[in-house]
Amino acid sequence: MRNPLNRRFIREVLGDLGKYLTIFIMMFLIVSECSGYLVANDSMIAAYNASFEKYNIENGYFSTEKKLNKAQKKNIESLGVKIYDDFYKDVEFNHGAIIRFYKLRNDVNLVCLMSGRLPEKKGEIAIDRMHCQNAGLNIGDRVSSNGIEYELVGTVALSDYSALFQDNGDSMFDSIKFAVSIVTDSDFEERDETLIYKYSWKYNTEPKDEIMEKEMGEDLMDGLIEQARLTSFVPRYQNQSINFAGEDLGADRNAMYILLYITVTIIAFVFAITISNTVSKEANVIGTLRASGYTINELIIHYMTLPLVVTLLAAILGNTFGYTYMKDVNAALYYGSYSLTTYETLFNLEALQKTTLIPIALMLIINFSILRRKLVYPPIKFLRRDIENKKQRKAFKLNYKIPFFNRFGLRVIWQNLSNYMMLMVGIVFANVLLMFGLMMPSTLEYYSANLANNLFAEKQYILQAPLSLQSSSGLESLMELMMFEKAVQTDNPDAEKFSAYYLKTNEDFAKEEEILFYGISKNSRYVNTSFKNDDVFVSSSFADKYDLKVGQTITLKENYGKKRYDFTITGIYPYDGNLSVFMDQKTMNQTFDLGDDFFAGYFSNSEINDIDEKYISTVMDLDSLNKISRQMDVSFGGFMGAVRVVSVAIFAVLIYILSKMVIEKNAQSISMAKILGYKNGEINRLYINPTSIVVLLSTILSLPLCYELIKVLWMKMMISRMSGWISYNWDVKTVCIKIVLYGLLGYALVALLEMYKISKIPKDEALKNVE
Amino acid sequence: MAFLQLKQIFKSFGEGDSQFQVLKGIDLEVEKGEFCVLLGPSGSGKSTLLNIIGGIDKADSGDIIVNGHSMESMNEKALTQYRREHLGYIFQMYNLIPNLTVRENIEVGAYLSKHPLNVDDLIDVLGLTDHKDKLPNQLSGGQQQRTAIGRAVVKNPDILLCDEPTGALDYSTSKEILKLIETVNNKYGSSIVMVTHNDAIKDMADKVVKLRDGQIRDAAINKNKLTASQLEW
Repeated sequence: MRNPLNRRFIREVLGDLGKYLTIFIMMFLIVSECSGYLVANDSMIAAYNASFEKYNIENGYFSTEKKLNKAQKKNIESLGVKIYDDFYKDVEFNHGAIIRFYKLRNDVNLVCLMSGRLPEKKGEIAIDRMHCQNAGLNIGDRVSSNGIEYELVGTVALSDYSALFQDNGDSMFDSIKFAVSIVTDSDFEERDETLIYKYSWKYNTEPKDEIMEKEMGEDLMDGLIEQARLTSFVPRYQNQSINFAGEDLGADRNAMYILLYITVTIIAFVFAITISNTVSKEANVIGTLRASGYTINELIIHYMTLPLVVTLLAAILGNTFGYTYMKDVNAALYYGSYSLTTYETLFNLEALQKTTLIPIALMLIINFSILRRKLVYPPIKFLRRDIENKKQRKAFKLNYKIPFFNRFGLRVIWQNLSNYMMLMVGIVFANVLLMFGLMMPSTLEYYSANLANNLFAEKQYILQAPLSLQSSSGLESLMELMMFEKAVQTDNPDAEKFSAYYLKTNEDFAKEEEILFYGISKNSRYVNTSFKNDDVFVSSSFADKYDLKVGQTITLKENYGKKRYDFTITGIYPYDGNLSVFMDQKTMNQTFDLGDDFFAGYFSNSEINDIDEKYISTVMDLDSLNKISRQMDVSFGGFMGAVRVVSVAIFAVLIYILSKMVIEKNAQSISMAKILGYKNGEINRLYINPTSIVVLLSTILSLPLCYELIKVLWMKMMISRMSGWISYNWDVKTVCIKIVLYGLLGYALVALLEMYKISKIPKDEALKNVE
Repeated sequence: MAFLQLKQIFKSFGEGDSQFQVLKGIDLEVEKGEFCVLLGPSGSGKSTLLNIIGGIDKADSGDIIVNGHSMESMNEKALTQYRREHLGYIFQMYNLIPNLTVRENIEVGAYLSKHPLNVDDLIDVLGLTDHKDKLPNQLSGGQQQRTAIGRAVVKNPDILLCDEPTGALDYSTSKEILKLIETVNNKYGSSIVMVTHNDAIKDMADKVVKLRDGQIRDAAINKNKLTASQLEW
């Protein structure tokens, strides 16, 4: 015979449809999002990893000042590599973007056609898909540069540009103002922009691991310097255009699991509290059943069945929805940031297990342990309704001077303490999400504003110093320096020379990234600190990111060599444009052995027009320094909107379920209050005001906790995943006001529902017996 | 040997100065199929004694032997099994499951037995055929109590324990319930131990036990047994 108690389930669900439906929807959404994310993510990771072989991605690239001749190529290839021409030109287009022209590649870094076709005749162009999307370009559109028009015939993903970094030293890629493209040979030749002699290399024997790859890269660089004047050298493991997307794919995996498990845990506790209340309500029935011979385990199974069925159903349907729909939504988030090649959906057993088995296990463990504790009492205790903790039964003393309604409210809070505790946890969780969703745009806004404020010159010109200048020595170096210095003089009265030099962070830092050293001239008009000979100031961004303090010694290493330098920090300079170090120009030139008169760039508040573009490697202005915040806005803007909606939904759902329980638990008392002559408004004051106070207080008190939690998350994200730095500064006051307002708005809706529910409690409820 | 034997049952509540001795050495025997009524004023210990017989409360000392098996050595699991196999319980407040129908509430009892009575036949005997698909809140107090009796009886228990089964009912409904219990006793041969305040009910019992201050003041065989219909109060 089937257990007749099972027939309660459908009636229980139908009788409390609102609760079960909201819990189901909440669980369904989080499982489907998590499943969709994991499926999309793992499929894309698999496609990304396979792309190295599929598209024959280079082991690295270098560029030279002059085109390599046959003998040079032969000598280089004798170092154990095969090199391929991969020349490009950066062309400025009328729609405000720089588009990098490449000829069609047939050997390395193959092109993935995403839509349309590749250019076949003159005047045709295929541009990176991501950029087309951001710039609103469609196949068939015409784009122009300097009077030359091109027809967009296809969108592509270049396998070595999954993230659109214009320069490998950039702190962030920029798919809005930069793109790569494929043009026909004739269109390539026609352009008169500077031709960059970039060469890709593939090792004859692939390195077995990362250590070997680094050693091979360093050996190759030593050999290359002997053969040509390098302007760049980027082994694959250092190439952000190739690696950034790969590192980002899967980086949110743990965060997604945490989100899933926290949500399931909260739901499990909500269920447990609901069941606990039901057990209290049905104590006499349970007592009778136990007295009739039902075992504790039979009752535990009975009360646990619905939460488990809801979880299982949400997991199955959530996974189905995740595979069929949410996978595309999540993939679109990545495709909205990166220029990834195509991928195929792979069945993901791990995702299925982790989004099904673990939520069920969590639900089972939490509910079992709470039910076991709740049902452990002997039948007689249930029959006597004597199953609450004795301490809880004692009334705590309240001063009679406290107005009656307030005392009553305090007693309601005390009576429903477990509900309210759960509500507080839920509010903290929802507010962490909400604060994250709100602080991100505020942080980017603050960053941009702050950047504009502490930008010491409107433009910073970094000159194109040949790499060989740093590595060669003696007379040759001096000659090169003299030639270079002559070509980069300007008559612009605003211009002020500075030295620049790049080092890299060493193993002491969480991430290997470039640090720009500024050598500042005495009495600088732009940098308003007078540096003594031994001063080493780090930028505020560098100090913030790695928690550097004055007096601390840091070790940095050469970009293209093994030499290491120790610096003792003597000050912090307020500058967030990039991670940088400021020194006296003369001292810095001596430190890096650059020669007393060396300089590498100009600060200027007006444009410098009298230096040949080929000698200018980078122009840093507010726009270019802002690319990190611009790209983050593009990458996360939509996502943050979704986070805000989800967090308010979680907030409202939790309040709805838990406050509903408070009302249901007190239905008889509310009914009695009505019989006594209390008006609905007064009853609302008695039973809704306590919830309002808890919600408001929890919301306000959770704010500092949320602030600190997000700070930890932010620091972790910025340190481990981003080059450069966006400090944790945002408009706390506005964001907090918004959180409280969102919370109150969500709560107002719930309170209206609860008021309606109270108004519908009949007066005869109090007169009914327990059946 | 009697089917149910109680030997020197002691039970107290509270601790220290506030300790209160509820049962002070109760000895009692109930034969198979016997109808035993426990009478006594409030606080005399009759409900406590019933709960101890039912294995839902524990005596401080003494032993209960059911069909030759001592309950003293039984752990919680064994006690549950004992209740499952041998006992039926009826309470003053009917304690029905609110979202199960009359028939389903009776099935809750049937589920526990390897050899339950036929549910529909029992519903007929209980006079609930017209109400079998109703929920408890659609029933009168008497109908609810009849359902509770059905739930207790359906598993064909050896002993039916009734704690003030008519305590919440009016005169005529109480008589209906008593008739039903009488029918169960006669038809299914269950031993019945009933706790009641109602002195009149003693006339339908085989054995009448009067309790006061935790002790049996009188235990007598009723030689002039009346039927439930004949009772008046």
